[in-house]
Amino acid sequence: MSAILTIAEAARRITARQLSPVELAKTHLDRIRRLDPQLNAFLLVTEERALADARAAEARQMSGGLRGRLDGIPIAHKDIYSTAGIRTTAHSKLLEHNVPTRDAHTVKKWADAGTVMLGKLATHEFAFGGPSFDLPWPPARNPWNRDRFTAGSSSGTGAAVAAGLILGGTGSDTGGSIRGPAALCGIAGIKPTYGLSSRAGILPLAFSLDHAGPMAWTAEDCGLLLQGMAGPDPEDPASADRPVPDFTAELGKGVKGLRIGVVRHFFERDHRASDATRAGIDAALEFFRKEGAEVRDITLSPAADYHAVGYLLMVTEAFALHGPWMRERFMDYGELFRDRVSLAATVSGPDMIQATRRRRLLCREMAAAMENLDVIVSASQPGEAPRIDSVPKWANMEKPSFTMPFNVTGFPAISICTGFGEGGLPVAMQLAGKPFTEPTLLRAAHAYETAMPWRARRPAMAG
Amino acid sequence: MLARAGLTLTPEQVKAILPGAAIFRDMIARVNAPLPREAEPALTFDVEQG
Repeated sequence: MSAILTIAEAARRITARQLSPVELAKTHLDRIRRLDPQLNAFLLVTEERALADARAAEARQMSGGLRGRLDGIPIAHKDIYSTAGIRTTAHSKLLEHNVPTRDAHTVKKWADAGTVMLGKLATHEFAFGGPSFDLPWPPARNPWNRDRFTAGSSSGTGAAVAAGLILGGTGSDTGGSIRGPAALCGIAGIKPTYGLSSRAGILPLAFSLDHAGPMAWTAEDCGLLLQGMAGPDPEDPASADRPVPDFTAELGKGVKGLRIGVVRHFFERDHRASDATRAGIDAALEFFRKEGAEVRDITLSPAADYHAVGYLLMVTEAFALHGPWMRERFMDYGELFRDRVSLAATVSGPDMIQATRRRRLLCREMAAAMENLDVIVSASQPGEAPRIDSVPKWANMEKPSFTMPFNVTGFPAISICTGFGEGGLPVAMQLAGKPFTEPTLLRAAHAYETAMPWRARRPAMAG
Repeated sequence: MLARAGLTLTPEQVKAILPGAAIFRDMIARVNAPLPREAEPALTFDVEQG
């Protein structure tokens, strides 16, 4: 068992008055001081705010007034989440001095739940560029090997959780920006169903693909954090007006009876994943079978079809947002963001309409495939983290993504660690479900995580 | 096309995006593969309607 607590364990100890929220916050601030200079996960550490939050949590603890399982838990926010009175930059020169006057919806909800905010986390520029070395701040580094990429765009959250600087944090996911860094940093990250969590106050990248979600060491912790952010919000037009379930209610029920489909062609043929990634998935499927799940292969359209639709919509929606700035301040963007988003200028009106037509067909295809399934399994990333200094500029276009299909359809998906590859770095799988079935996804992920040894192993630098 | 979109880039800046533009052209072609005539666009995305 790692010395760094999970949220679930910290919450148990805080409730039992065995753990002081102030001492917990100080421990994590100390870890940030010691480790973050090597990781660049934080763009800003809000120490005074953290200690004030922690003292308030401790007062509630001592008076028997804890607000729930997130009270006193050290977290941080991706720097596209607006924080009132606290700089929010999107890791970009364009917003270098931006200080919002309001909290993002989730920032406020987590604060109301009693979380302790330690600061703002690195991201790829406006949640899309990266890894970039031409921005006002350096990119986050992977704590398993600092020469390696974290993936992105929620790069700081991935690094900070893996290194135990925070117990959980926010991410956003337009094409895989939660699940990618979760995979390469060896943690858990869930992209909820489109509409489950509000994007209000989060700097957008592409309205119809953007999702807000949590990242943490375990699926259970993701469920606890998601509980604190899900729910209707009139300020997000995509917000779903429906009751919020208990995301941890099904944990511990195992996978017996679950119907699991495997989109094997995604990671064996469409974009062949590494041996370790495929072996990790096969071992997980064997575990699910042994535990009583029904497992069978399914076929969807090629991953490239989902990727083409998603990528075209993503850059075109991003250009609709950023066009005015790009026309005036092109060189103030980092190279990766400006060059990738410029491609949207080559998209015609009919191209865009065709993309939305094809999107609807892909959504229907996936819904039909899932009609008699509870979970579908595929890869999350093609393999272990590559070197951070050798990620090609067009890497996110050259081969189809495993994560984009679930942004295109809006279905929920979680990435969890399935072990380690030849380079000693984490590999992962992705579990996806029908809309608004997060409790089932978390149930399957938790069953796997608690049966495997991977959650006991932290990066060496995390101590 | 870049100029029509209001991006006045230098030749070097245009050159920098050409490799990506070639990959992106293939994506656009894939998106434009024939669809059933009755397929309607999802202009406002809703996860439950697709």
